[in-house]
Amino acid sequence: MTGVLHIFRQPWIWAWIGAVAVWLATATFTQGRGATEVLSAAMTFGAFFVIVALGQMFVITLGPGNVDLSIPACMTLAGTVAMKTMDGSAGMIPVGLLIALAIGAGVGAINYALIRMLRIPPIIATLSSSFIFQSAAIWWNRGLRVKPPEPLGDFTTAKIAGVPLIALLVMILAVAGHVLLTRTMYGRGVVAIGQNIRAAHLAGVKVERIRAATYIMCATLAGLCGYLLSAFSGGAALNMGEEYLLSSIAVVVIGGTSVAGGFANVPGLWGAALFLFLLVTMLNTFGAGAGVRLVLTGLIIIGVIVAASGGKRRT
Amino acid sequence: MKTITTLGMVTAVALSGMTVSAIADTSDKRIALSNNYAGNSWRQAMLGSWEKVTGEAVENGTVAAADAFTTAENQVTEQAAQIQNLILQGYDAIVVNAASPEGLNGAVKEACDAGVVVVSFDGIVTEPCAWRIAVDFKQMGKDEVLYLSDKLSEGGNLLEIRGLAGVFVDDEISAGIHEGVAETGKFEIVGSVHGNWAQDVSQKAVAGILPSLPDDIVGVVTQGGDGYGAAQAFKAAGRDIPVIVMGNRHDELSWWKEQKDASGYETMSVSIAPGVSTLAFWVAQQILDGADVPKDLTVPFLRIDQDNLEDNLANTEEGGVANVEYTLEDAQAVISGAS
Repeated sequence: MTGVLHIFRQPWIWAWIGAVAVWLATATFTQGRGATEVLSAAMTFGAFFVIVALGQMFVITLGPGNVDLSIPACMTLAGTVAMKTMDGSAGMIPVGLLIALAIGAGVGAINYALIRMLRIPPIIATLSSSFIFQSAAIWWNRGLRVKPPEPLGDFTTAKIAGVPLIALLVMILAVAGHVLLTRTMYGRGVVAIGQNIRAAHLAGVKVERIRAATYIMCATLAGLCGYLLSAFSGGAALNMGEEYLLSSIAVVVIGGTSVAGGFANVPGLWGAALFLFLLVTMLNTFGAGAGVRLVLTGLIIIGVIVAASGGKRRT
Repeated sequence: MKTITTLGMVTAVALSGMTVSAIADTSDKRIALSNNYAGNSWRQAMLGSWEKVTGEAVENGTVAAADAFTTAENQVTEQAAQIQNLILQGYDAIVVNAASPEGLNGAVKEACDAGVVVVSFDGIVTEPCAWRIAVDFKQMGKDEVLYLSDKLSEGGNLLEIRGLAGVFVDDEISAGIHEGVAETGKFEIVGSVHGNWAQDVSQKAVAGILPSLPDDIVGVVTQGGDGYGAAQAFKAAGRDIPVIVMGNRHDELSWWKEQKDASGYETMSVSIAPGVSTLAFWVAQQILDGADVPKDLTVPFLRIDQDNLEDNLANTEEGGVANVEYTLEDAQAVISGAS
């Protein structure tokens, strides 16, 4: 009994409840038609959200003012350069992956350098650096859409027993993220910094080293997402990362991570990613107009966040 | 050779019955392009066409300068400030692709009051003193349905992919589509999603709604930039691919070509050529030249059909959009068509 009550105090449960509720509503509306296919699509697209949201979660947990706004530009730059370098050749797949990850790491390092050395607040630093990265992508590619190597495209769309392969891999990534957050010095350090940076420093947490690692990890994950997304959707485009800016933050917050920092959880990311996709699908299925859809999306997100923060926060 | 071309142009102007003062040339005039956004392949092609055509015009001495300026953030305030700067810099004409139909009216009025000719295109402005080269987006939407009506005489279920919610272009194209559906009376739009004119967003939206739709979807009406994503989503769902109307993007055309070669797939593709910026340039040049130009002009569509697919695909840059660049004569034809 207390176990059941305990689970309702978890901040991440509301995103999952929301996801299941909108899925059931969609399935009821269509009388069960296509319910499993919708779920499969939600897992695929949710996986991309989770990759970027995982990095964003660690950044946001660092405390007030910490957020990475360069995610879309980083995705675009990594995706376009990797696709152009591979140029559809299967042998270049690992090279492309390394390039995407290296671009991500580089972007993260530049972001951190701006924050640390020039003492620019993270929001401004990552926003301004994103202009540079986006322009670099435009300059390098001029809107080029190069098809991904075929094996890579097949890999990102493959399914095992109806479950998208990419979703399985991102679940493993999420488990790793969970262990990193809750079971390592690094993860506890991130949470400690978010709760009180001075106390964390006095307690011997290597604040700057952890902040650097967090920004670099976040951008590297964005690079990975750009690489996989361009393989999945048949090529990279200059505007491919656009909707991942707000989504990455929304997924983190709906998932029950505190936007003020210091409290985070990984299970909520998956719940929130599925919820966001299923919510739009539900409203599309109902045939709601764009205006109604945006209003409802806003209201439902507010509802879930209020519900998630209703109980006392626990770490 | 250059003299001959110039002479040809002058003759053309004279022949088209415009003011004789057309010979009072525009070689000392400076034209600026104020552009609100450059972050997609269409806009990149638009800027590329501008550079190419105006570069030649400057070299030939038709105008003194034709510089392009793009704002960073697609924001009204920023573009208004940019236009004010262009007035101060003394340009004789400003060609605008506007971030908002009304938001720039103040700055445009200032320009007119300062004696600067303002020609808006694609993203037009409503300020009466400016010229407008508008696209009949409604007709474009209607043409899609009329094509499907010819091709699919039985009619059936359609899926509509819309653009960015709240943008005028999206409302217009969609209104045209719905008008076409009402007039032909044999189609039903069973689903409608917003694809934001982006391939990945469309793919995601279509993949989400597809499982809940009936199996017999015969056509997909689109707004451009979204056809390839729709095709990917149908393929991933293991469904028969319906007739998807394309929007002239390279990925859409090359996908169409693959299907055509493999299975005789038939469709059509329609959009606005990014080179419309060059049409706006020539219109501005004509106004500076003293020509009598009506305030409202209409851009022709660039439509690709089954038989001219290969030619258009060959002329389209990889990752770009099918394009045509306009000449002075094209501009004069558009002007005389409107007056």
